[in-house]
Amino acid sequence: MNKKSSKKSSSIENYSHLELFNLGKIFFKEKKFIDFRSKGNRSGFEAIKDINLKIEKNTFVSIIGPSGCGKSTLLNLIAGLQAPTSGKIVIDGQAIKGPGPDRGVIFQNYALMPWLTTIQNIEFALNTVFPAKTKADVKERARKYLRMVGLEKASNKFPKELSGGMKQRVAIARALSINPNMLLMDEPFGALDALTRSYLQDELLSIWRKNKVTVVLITHSIEEALLLSDKIVLMSSGPSAIISEEISVDLERPRDREKIEQDPNYLKIKMRLEKHLLRETRAVEEVT
Amino acid sequence: MNKAISTRLTFAVAILSLLIFIILWQVIAQQGLLVKNFPGSFKTIGSLIWWVSDPFFDNGPNDLGIGTNLLISLRRVLIGYSLAVLVAVPLGVLMGMSKLAQSSLNPYVQLLKPVSPLAWLPVGLFVFRNSEITGIFVIFITSIWPTLINTAFGVASINPDYLRVSKSLGASKSTTIRRVILPAIMPNILAGMRISMGTAWLVIVAAEMLLGTGIGYFIWNEWNNLSLENIFVAIIIIGFTGFILDQFFGFLQDKFDYSI
Repeated sequence: MNKKSSKKSSSIENYSHLELFNLGKIFFKEKKFIDFRSKGNRSGFEAIKDINLKIEKNTFVSIIGPSGCGKSTLLNLIAGLQAPTSGKIVIDGQAIKGPGPDRGVIFQNYALMPWLTTIQNIEFALNTVFPAKTKADVKERARKYLRMVGLEKASNKFPKELSGGMKQRVAIARALSINPNMLLMDEPFGALDALTRSYLQDELLSIWRKNKVTVVLITHSIEEALLLSDKIVLMSSGPSAIISEEISVDLERPRDREKIEQDPNYLKIKMRLEKHLLRETRAVEEVT
Repeated sequence: MNKAISTRLTFAVAILSLLIFIILWQVIAQQGLLVKNFPGSFKTIGSLIWWVSDPFFDNGPNDLGIGTNLLISLRRVLIGYSLAVLVAVPLGVLMGMSKLAQSSLNPYVQLLKPVSPLAWLPVGLFVFRNSEITGIFVIFITSIWPTLINTAFGVASINPDYLRVSKSLGASKSTTIRRVILPAIMPNILAGMRISMGTAWLVIVAAEMLLGTGIGYFIWNEWNNLSLENIFVAIIIIGFTGFILDQFFGFLQDKFDYSI
């Protein structure tokens, strides 16, 4: 585990892409208006604590843990959508203060604006991030990213006319269109059927190979994590979840989902992950 | 094919029920089954045709064509209503977004919403000393609450995913309001505007009985003339106009329904 002291390096090139230092998040109960009965006690729910993590440039890292362990909280903190209660997040040697277009975020429920067409959803992101770009430029760029995810023909369709897999592809195109160097994904394939999920996993891998980005993927699927990642970060059960283990996935790329399952190394890691998840899930189930 | 037959059938049933209604009305009136001298449907239809064939005459304030009176009412409603929407939408967005605005304004909204807008009529007359402006003021008060409340509710219950996308892109507050919040709550705003318009159209008739001119005053005037058939004519015209206004908002709501 990286302690605080190991961070201060003299060489500028020496930092990782993303570094988390003693990160913690406590959710305090919000006092409701006209709710005199509840005395304002400031004890809150500690989602995660003492998270220390380093993620190298252009690597693919999965964060896996039992449900309710604060994986999504961790991702929201990295995205800058929430502020940590303690600790800090450093990207390229700079502590982040909030969200930024250097990080593209992909949500589980796609989060497309239903009043905009496919291409307009991407144009919204581009117009927000690059206000100086001309209309034609924006349109061209949006079209390019739709083409990348194979949805150029659906550019004038509304989200309600698309399947779940197509919607998520639009969301991926939107996240990449702003040219981030980090992609943050919160269980992006969790709501999709198994076939669509496999298809999108392959799609994501090929996109990742072409557009060099650092990926942080939240998932609860061991197979997904093994197929995609360079490193798997295991989280303990919440509340006050911590990182219990980091596992390097030294499997050769490109990985074939059929052949990989015969790899003894794959099976070894898989067993280890299953054991951990089972133990942590049991901890959750038996407490509650 | 099947659908065409079913719409035709619906239409035929509607026509038939209308005919039965007209005949029953005529019979009941002619026989004096309800009260004496109650106008029958034939007399009422005759009056309706008379009023509609020359709707825009003007022989002084107590003798205006029904179209002229209708336009006077519509004008008051549209001005008061538009002003109300212009105030209610921004205020609703503010209340939905800011806890401070919500907690400071909500008590007034809750207190004033259940009050009949007609209670404001004497206040308007005292302040403005002008019946025209008072009418518009009463419609303004009437129209503001449903739109305000629906807008605030829409903002407060907006899908947080949209806001997270906007935030993750680093959008400014004004971009988020214009590009995300306003389009997202269009269905709520329109639902509120539809209710506001419905209530405004109800209230204008009552208000005008006290203010002079307009379709409401027409009813009051015909009551003084003891001309019940003309009052029925006004009821039909008011109902038809209200129906058209409501359909217009129904059409807009369909346009902005993102769920289907």
